[in-house]
Amino acid sequence: MNVVMFYLLSAIILIFSLLSITTRKILRAAVYLLFVLVATSGFYFLLNYEFMAAVQLTLYAGGIVVLIIFSILLTSHISHKFKHPALLNLLMGAGVAVIGAGVALYIIFNEKFTANGQPELPVDMTAIGTQLLSTEKNGYVLPFELISVLLLAAIIAAIVIAKKGKQEEKES
Amino acid sequence: MIQGIPIYHFLVVSTLMFFIGVCGFIIRRNLITMLMAVELILNSVNINFVVFNRYLYPDQLQGHFFSLFIVGIAAAEAAVAIALIINIYRRINNIEVENVNEMKF
Amino acid sequence: MDFGQFILMRHELLLILAAVIVLIAELAVSESSKARIIPFALGLFALVTIAGFIPGETGTLFGGSYQSNELTTMMKNVLNMGVLIIFLQSESWLKKPENVDKASEYFVLTLATLVGMNYMISAGDFLIFYVGLETATIPIAGLAAFDKLKSRSAEAGIKLILSSALSSGILLFGLSMIYGATGSIYFADVLKNVSATPLIIMGFIFFVAGMGFKISLVPFHFWTADVYEGAPIGVTSYLSVVSKGAAVFIFTIVLFTVFRPIMEQWQHLIYTLAVMTMTLANLFALRQDNLKRFLAFSSIAQAGFILLGILGANGMGMASVVYFVLVYVFTNLGAFGVVAAVSAASGVETISGYNGLYKTNPKLSLLMTLSLFSLAGIPPVAGFFGKFFLFTSAAGSGYFILVLIAVLNATISLYYYLRVVKAMFIDANEDPAPTFRSSNAMRLGLIMCLAGMFIIGFASTIFDYLRNISDVLFN
Repeated sequence: MNVVMFYLLSAIILIFSLLSITTRKILRAAVYLLFVLVATSGFYFLLNYEFMAAVQLTLYAGGIVVLIIFSILLTSHISHKFKHPALLNLLMGAGVAVIGAGVALYIIFNEKFTANGQPELPVDMTAIGTQLLSTEKNGYVLPFELISVLLLAAIIAAIVIAKKGKQEEKES
Repeated sequence: MIQGIPIYHFLVVSTLMFFIGVCGFIIRRNLITMLMAVELILNSVNINFVVFNRYLYPDQLQGHFFSLFIVGIAAAEAAVAIALIINIYRRINNIEVENVNEMKF
Repeated sequence: MDFGQFILMRHELLLILAAVIVLIAELAVSESSKARIIPFALGLFALVTIAGFIPGETGTLFGGSYQSNELTTMMKNVLNMGVLIIFLQSESWLKKPENVDKASEYFVLTLATLVGMNYMISAGDFLIFYVGLETATIPIAGLAAFDKLKSRSAEAGIKLILSSALSSGILLFGLSMIYGATGSIYFADVLKNVSATPLIIMGFIFFVAGMGFKISLVPFHFWTADVYEGAPIGVTSYLSVVSKGAAVFIFTIVLFTVFRPIMEQWQHLIYTLAVMTMTLANLFALRQDNLKRFLAFSSIAQAGFILLGILGANGMGMASVVYFVLVYVFTNLGAFGVVAAVSAASGVETISGYNGLYKTNPKLSLLMTLSLFSLAGIPPVAGFFGKFFLFTSAAGSGYFILVLIAVLNATISLYYYLRVVKAMFIDANEDPAPTFRSSNAMRLGLIMCLAGMFIIGFASTIFDYLRNISDVLFN
């Protein structure tokens, strides 16, 4: 069952990510991206990382895609179709992707991955919570705090971008 | 680790997704779709980290946490990028790269 | 864990404290007197900079996630000094009526990115490194889009954030491969398991490509000129000096410590990048007329020279890189400061607009000349010693052909730096930029640059000190 699910999800991911970069309607691209992200969270469920899957669903599929769709509705006409990409760009993009993927896959298939054989750490909320707030090795309290600085700065950056100066207000 | 699925199959999916994202970044000429291509790239990286963690090093959760942080940062990045895109749109009513003055990638 | 150990993170904590104080002070000032926040923040940051020089403990925290030593402390101080000068030079720009409302945001964003850079330099694992890197990049996009009246500015912001997002995606793909091959994200554990297998080499190449975007090395430099041109000058100088300097520091540290076992492989890669970066950036710089674009390509070329020091791959290499960045902070900020002063007073930003500047503003022209000489590496000023040590380091490791190429490139660069000097001193102009007097803060910033250029060049103790503390990476 898991095996079937895996190949189904992989097919969804690959087909829709290809579609999302080739479709000529922007809203469709966003919806295809949503499918890809939801299927990815299916991967995490398969791998028994439920917390990661939930984060993927709420933040990526629920947050970022909604943000992107909002911005599409604000900035584009739904009926608008893209022009075909310039041939040079198309060739360059496809060339980079095909060659890069070929080399990377060749290297990956020639690598012998061996598990380190240590006993598995059970991934429950207790373990995740303890590690997130631990100050020892394999504790993540420092990046956790640092990311709060980042989020604050990002909010302020967004405010700076959106803020109208006094002069502009007079003009408009 | 899932019985019957070798790690290579996961890596094939994530690698292809990564390069689809790179390709999308190069061929797309619209700021929002370029942002979407970047999200594809970050997503493929997340799969990599989580799969390596589960298959090869399950005694620690380093890859798992790394992906968590990547998701959080990607959200912040997308928020700032979209703020900028809407700002540009209000100015010139268009977000195709060609129309964005001088901005040739 | 003992909270007393937090003293190890004093640089970062002081910066966060300063940012929070500025945020709170913003609430306290009334709508009409927003300009008062500027001298307050300047004074506060000057205190933070001075406090950074107080010697204190070093060590590791959080089980190896955070590490500080004398070298990282020195790097953080270099960055602090750069930011202080940039703040001084931005003061008159911030006082303009369209910017004064957002002055406190400018300070908070700059301080937050500086916190990110400091954590990045002190990182002991790839997670802190990555979070720090992003903290140091994302808010800068907001700063680049600061100028509401120019649409160029918003374009610079979006271009910066999209290319930085792509580059961090590529960097992360490399890191994920390295994690898969070595089983850890901690520098110390990765070092134990790194060997020249194809998977690690591939991951490493992706890593270098991602960092190449941040340092703007040549195949990955396409965003640099447009962003530098579009962003306000204060932000451009921040990007080209502080942000780039921090990325160079951590890149060097990671190459020297984590990837030491595959040194032979990365030396080939860096060699190629160095040749391409120096040569192509010089060729592009020859054609520019806009001064910001010109300085953008010149700063790409300088990054190529820095790679020579990295190739040295020993204590001498590390010391020469830090020394060069220190010199570069004062030199490049001198040049950017003059551009900012002239642009604030007369709006001129092109080389041809500088024709005859010497007649009207002799002091500024002299400072600009000295800065450009220093960038080109002409003897009396510090830039010469910076380049000299980089070349010595590369030659010491046997890269004689590369040093020859670098010397040739330095000669080419002399031509385009002299073009600006010629414009200022020789070319006649019926309508030169008018004489003006800059604000006191700007003058102080420029004087600091001038003093830095001479003091660092002549006080040999500085290099000796750097040379001593650089060996800490190699035992």
